[in-house]
Amino acid sequence: MFAIIKLIQSLFGALHSEGTPGQLAAGIVLGSFLGLTPLLNLHNAVILAALILLNVSFAGGMLGWALFVPIGFLLDPLFDWIGHRLLLAESLRGFWTSAYNTPIVPLTNFNNTVVLGSVVFAVVFAVPLFFATRLGVVRYRATIGARVRQSRFYKGLMASKAYNVYKMFRP
Amino acid sequence: MTAPAPGSRPPAPRLKVFRWRAVGPLLVLLVIGVVLWWIFADSIARHESEQVGTQILGAKVEIQKLHLDLRHGKVMVYGLTVASPHEALRNLLQADELVADVDVLPLTEKKLIINRIAANGLRFGTRRETDGRVAAKSAGGDGIAGRVMAETREWAQQFKVPVLQLATGKISIDSLDPRRLSTLPAAEALGARADSSRKAWQASFEGLQLGPTIDSANATLEKLRHARATDIAALNEGRQAITRLKRASDRVTALERTVKTGVAGLQTGLAGLDSAKRRDYAFARSLLKLPTLDAPSVGAALFAPGTIKPFERVLYYAQLARRYMPPGLLPRAATGTKRVRRAGEDVRFPEERALPAFLLRSAELSFFLHPNSEQPQRYAGHLTGLTSDPALYGRPTSLGATGPQLAAGAMLNHVREIPVDTAGATLGGIRLPAFDVPGVPLRLDPGSGTTQLGFNLNGDTIHARFAIRSSNVTWARDSGFANSRLGELIWSAISRISDLNVEARISGALHNPDFAVRSNLDQAIATRLRAVLGAQVAAAEQQVRARVDALVSQQVAAARAQVTQVESRAQAQVAQQRARLDELQKQLEQRLREMTGGIRLP
Repeated sequence: MFAIIKLIQSLFGALHSEGTPGQLAAGIVLGSFLGLTPLLNLHNAVILAALILLNVSFAGGMLGWALFVPIGFLLDPLFDWIGHRLLLAESLRGFWTSAYNTPIVPLTNFNNTVVLGSVVFAVVFAVPLFFATRLGVVRYRATIGARVRQSRFYKGLMASKAYNVYKMFRP
Repeated sequence: MTAPAPGSRPPAPRLKVFRWRAVGPLLVLLVIGVVLWWIFADSIARHESEQVGTQILGAKVEIQKLHLDLRHGKVMVYGLTVASPHEALRNLLQADELVADVDVLPLTEKKLIINRIAANGLRFGTRRETDGRVAAKSAGGDGIAGRVMAETREWAQQFKVPVLQLATGKISIDSLDPRRLSTLPAAEALGARADSSRKAWQASFEGLQLGPTIDSANATLEKLRHARATDIAALNEGRQAITRLKRASDRVTALERTVKTGVAGLQTGLAGLDSAKRRDYAFARSLLKLPTLDAPSVGAALFAPGTIKPFERVLYYAQLARRYMPPGLLPRAATGTKRVRRAGEDVRFPEERALPAFLLRSAELSFFLHPNSEQPQRYAGHLTGLTSDPALYGRPTSLGATGPQLAAGAMLNHVREIPVDTAGATLGGIRLPAFDVPGVPLRLDPGSGTTQLGFNLNGDTIHARFAIRSSNVTWARDSGFANSRLGELIWSAISRISDLNVEARISGALHNPDFAVRSNLDQAIATRLRAVLGAQVAAAEQQVRARVDALVSQQVAAARAQVTQVESRAQAQVAQQRARLDELQKQLEQRLREMTGGIRLP
């Protein structure tokens, strides 16, 4: 329950933050990487560092992560299939062999079908996700954003303590 | 200060790409990560080792303590327990301590190169409290180990030998399904064949058109009877009639040959009916739960279930080795590490002149046999060249162990395209486990004895031998069994035998090899069985033959009668027509001789 409340808080917090729609969309895209790909992998450390260091919406990142975790689970068979196709492609064998025998690179687990498939999917999906999210935020703010901000629901939601944690990382 | 001109756009705020104030928290996060690694590295490594080991072997791998000392390239493992993949409450091995010298640099390539392992306090076959099997319990054969387990089980299933039904001495017969008898379709086919032969012969016979020839010959004969010797035209006509009769006779001869061939075919069909019936007798006999009375079958029935197990187990490990240590350098996929998300598959890409993903250059093993006895015996062994990429390492994996009453060795040669796995072991002075003899409520305690195992899997061809020898066998019998006459006889046949020699051999193509088991008990039991059960077996066999006869006799008789009828009719027709032709020819020739006075005219 708490997780759902936090998710809703994140969603509204992010939508009504001072951040630009682009920052919010970039945060959600980075968060989608965390959600779509298996978490405990080296590339996600880089994504997390980027989420913290880059001037993107951290709340958007958390929101993207939370939203895309279940989607990641659902799409695992697809990722497995994509990874299989790529890793066992004859034309790419030389590339993978060279990467596999290069220091550090194998630690990314790129040779796992689900990891590679999900990363490739997340990369391809990032561009439409970014533009769709940015457009969505712009439209929201231009239409019902102001009314929601004045609503009791929003005020009650944002008054909770969890919101304060979010505010620490707002853009 | 000047106000912006009306209509002009406010300057766009400068876009900040980096959130510099977050560098501090990031560094803190990094430090926390390092501290957590420092604190939990051993636990994580232990947990991962357990998980990977369990996944590879198909049985629980447990480690009490693991310490990483990467600065000195050492990994220490204490209290290693590897459960048996096949036995529920038994460990495959336990080790007090393992110390591994690890090359640190290849770890950055995710490659584990162990230069040397020293293993102390190894113990085999110890008891455990919980069921440690993993692959054996996965119904669908999950993972590589699960699949290999399922395959080897299926492989062992093919050697199921009918169990001796001696407990009661009763012989039961399963229901006989007429659809599974081969005589009925054979009789039906033969009947159809006879019918079609009849039709074909009839058509051929009608095609001979003998009627006009015979009629014309009769008319000519009549004419010759009233003709004078000088009537040259009549004489010529007579000769022409004889020529026509000869041609007709030739046609009859050709038809006769066809009929003979057809009859021979039908006779073969009748013989086929007999052999189909014999097959049905054999099939019906197989439905009897009869004890097999020949000595080799008795040996197989008694010891096959026990002796197939060592082969199944060795084959399991050999096949696992083939999956994890495949020959060649092509990319290979293996089940990924278990996680909450789908595990997927890890694909390895071995490269020439690169390090293998896993290599254990050398291991020195020190272990005990009979650890619980007053004087446990210490043994020593070595293992070299255990690697995930034999083609890269270029040498086979070898394992050897020696000690009092033990000689064991194994070689896994996966360097070339066709892998060759060889193993051999002789272990003496060990207490062999007592077991129930299948089908007979007797328990055999072999006592201390010697076991030998030889195993060779060359590509897909297997040659393996397993032998047990003991000279102090003891027998125990079921109390219920003691009251039956049969039980008494079997008991008296084998209870005095104190030696046990069992030998099982497997050879041939791996998917369908020959399996033979023999023992010194075979002949003794077979002789007794024959004496006791011979009459019952004969009666039961007679009974099943009668059942088969009852089911097939009507159809067989009908087919036989049809064949006989067709044969006799065709032969009679041919004979009759031939006789008429011959008779006419004879008469014509006679009349011509009379007219010419025996002078041969041109």
